[in-house]
Amino acid sequence: MTPTLIWRCPTRNGLPPLPAVASVVTVLVAMWSTASLVEVDFARLIGSLGKMVSFAGNMFVMPEWKYLPHLLGKMLETIEMTFLATAIALVVSLPLGLLAARNATPHLIVYRLVRDLLSLMRALPELVWALVFVSAVGLGPLPGVMALAFVTVGFMGKFFAETIEVIDQKQVEGVSAHGAGWFQVRMFGMLPQALPDFVGTVMYILDHNLRAATVLGLVGAGGIGYDLVMSMRLFQYDRLLPIAVSIYLVVTLLDRLSDQLRRRIIHGAKAKI
Amino acid sequence: MSIISIKSATKRFPNGFEAIKGISTEIATGSFTVILGPSGAGKSTLLRLMNGLETTTSGSVHVTGETLSKSNLRKTRSRVGMVFQQFNLVERLSVVTNVLTGRLAHRSWLGSLFYLFRNEDIEIAQEALARVGLTDKAWSRADKLSGGQQQRVGIARALAQRPKVILADEPVASLDPVSSEEIMMLLREICDRDGITVVVNLHQVDLAKRFADRIIGMNSGRVVFDGTPAELSPLTLQTIYKRDEIENDTNLDLALSYA
Amino acid sequence: MKPKQTTPSTSTLPPKPRNLFPVWLAALLALLWLIVHDLEISFEALAYGLADMGEYFSRYRKPDFSELSRYLDLMKITLATALWGTVFALVVAVILAPLAARNLAPHPLAYRAAREILNFMRAMPDLLLALIFVAALGLGPLPGALALGVHTAGFLGKFFAESLERVGKGVYEGVTSTGANFPQIVMYAGWPSIQREALGYLLYIMDRNVRMASVLGLVGAGGIGLALHDTLRMFNYGQSAALILIILGSILIIDYASAWLRRRLS
Repeated sequence: MTPTLIWRCPTRNGLPPLPAVASVVTVLVAMWSTASLVEVDFARLIGSLGKMVSFAGNMFVMPEWKYLPHLLGKMLETIEMTFLATAIALVVSLPLGLLAARNATPHLIVYRLVRDLLSLMRALPELVWALVFVSAVGLGPLPGVMALAFVTVGFMGKFFAETIEVIDQKQVEGVSAHGAGWFQVRMFGMLPQALPDFVGTVMYILDHNLRAATVLGLVGAGGIGYDLVMSMRLFQYDRLLPIAVSIYLVVTLLDRLSDQLRRRIIHGAKAKI
Repeated sequence: MSIISIKSATKRFPNGFEAIKGISTEIATGSFTVILGPSGAGKSTLLRLMNGLETTTSGSVHVTGETLSKSNLRKTRSRVGMVFQQFNLVERLSVVTNVLTGRLAHRSWLGSLFYLFRNEDIEIAQEALARVGLTDKAWSRADKLSGGQQQRVGIARALAQRPKVILADEPVASLDPVSSEEIMMLLREICDRDGITVVVNLHQVDLAKRFADRIIGMNSGRVVFDGTPAELSPLTLQTIYKRDEIENDTNLDLALSYA
Repeated sequence: MKPKQTTPSTSTLPPKPRNLFPVWLAALLALLWLIVHDLEISFEALAYGLADMGEYFSRYRKPDFSELSRYLDLMKITLATALWGTVFALVVAVILAPLAARNLAPHPLAYRAAREILNFMRAMPDLLLALIFVAALGLGPLPGALALGVHTAGFLGKFFAESLERVGKGVYEGVTSTGANFPQIVMYAGWPSIQREALGYLLYIMDRNVRMASVLGLVGAGGIGLALHDTLRMFNYGQSAALILIILGSILIIDYASAWLRRRLS
């Protein structure tokens, strides 16, 4: 017995497990060496607390009431962009998802190509594409919808493909055993099985897209984001407050709604088994 | 001397079901008691009352002379080990770590944050594992073990607490006959050699008769029999296993004739 | 019921249950048409734009890597911002998640409070948070890292809490019955049971933060986003293309790395 070692980990040698230590040390070293890049400065952080408080204090103002109708219009535009982009992406993603699923694709080369295409599409955030599309087609909601739909196809296609890959192959065999064609097998054997999960995915993506749509206005791609930045830059706190509150409300509402719906679908699916 | 005493305890669940309908009983120190009864008789609830996993609706539970309350819950639990039907091990942790969780009540939460234990804890855990004959499996992950082995880890965890009492809730219901036999012998031996009071819930009459000092029969929330295994007659078995609203239960007679 | 086989009329199917799918589809299409109308998206402009798109994208044909080392430095800052944000989110989520798990929370009030804090953090878009933190802290990557951290702590905390809620009741009871207290139950029954899922979520959040960090520059929160914004503003397509390629490459590398890690975990 070594008297020096009073505390031990529940491992053979009494030391913490190597992989855990190695990953913690790696992260700490990475953080320490990048602290200057990120300009971490605790004095500055603490000093900013006063500013944060005074900023929060500024928010306690009477909202500018006559701005509200305009705000509602912009918020509606944000929601409309979300829905339109998701709907367009849905139509495009369904066939792409089939092509990118290992068990449904006509050929492995197609599978690889579509997979890579999808991962390219979702690699860059909406805002980058919005920047590009704004300089291509001009300001307004159109580039916003295009950017949202573009990135969403990347995510949705991948999720769909993954859902199709885990369906029950026996049911598919049941359909193809009766002489159904290539397309018929996919329509009647595969899609019905994947449908409940698809609905969950669409709700999740709708949620994500709404969050993204609220900030697209930053680069002039429509929605509430433009007003948000302007009121921030011009210190119009009587506008900033209702904007922030309305974003919070709409995002939270959809978040709860999609949570509920997904839970219902999951439980519904379990009940059937 | 009784180590646990229950005074006119009742338990009503939020859904309105009354699991315990007024029970008063004492458990003698160092005894081996089996609670016998059909499913839904309230055996589990009674056992969980003794560990504070459930609280009484009315009446009180006293363990080692102290009345169970929110303030001494942790202290009481550290003195009362519990063994579960489904073992309730943390599957991703090693066997040793699972056993060491039995020492948690004696350690501050700060050490627990970093999974640190004292040498003496490790020794206690090793001793407990040796006791249940699993020293060679110490570093395996808990979910890699068979059911009987997992239950022995569960008993080792209870032993590592250095408890005054071990409560076992249907410890053999998920095991095959051979493992069941081993687990019951182990519990009996712990009772005899370490002087630890053991209370076991069972639904197998033969195991109860062979291992118990005392049998408490329960039916729908009440004690309907309390005595030695020798006093357990076919007639009393009928009252224990009596089902409501069935006058001549031929299935029951048939089942009991094999018991 | 006994089937009658004599008359052909009874051999037809029972009346088909009314299928409302076409109605829903029509309503949805009408809604989408209304939206298109309301957003004043003209298909002419779109067609016109699409026709020009080929010509437009051809301007990006020649990436200009003359300032490569500056871009790489910016990308390094972006990655560092994502790392700091993710670690911040992890720390906050690890503290809040056990409180926000219904079956673990020591008190219903703690549960409600933790849930609401997580919801609030999730509801605030990270760019809005970045705007606020830039106003308070001044320009630079630090407000960006904070914004990412606060926003994704909400997500990570929610994911962790939901995983903790799915752990079997017996596992918690087993540790509780030994007399363990709340932090001990969390450390010995909670995290070990969900470690694999939790690592998956963490990698997902890291991925997401790298993507988002590359646009935070737009609001003055440092990194490569600002450079991209500026070059696009000045119609400097060559440099824009170079920047996009660098962002794309870094994200794809991180993507592959985390996919590889995830495979190793399962």
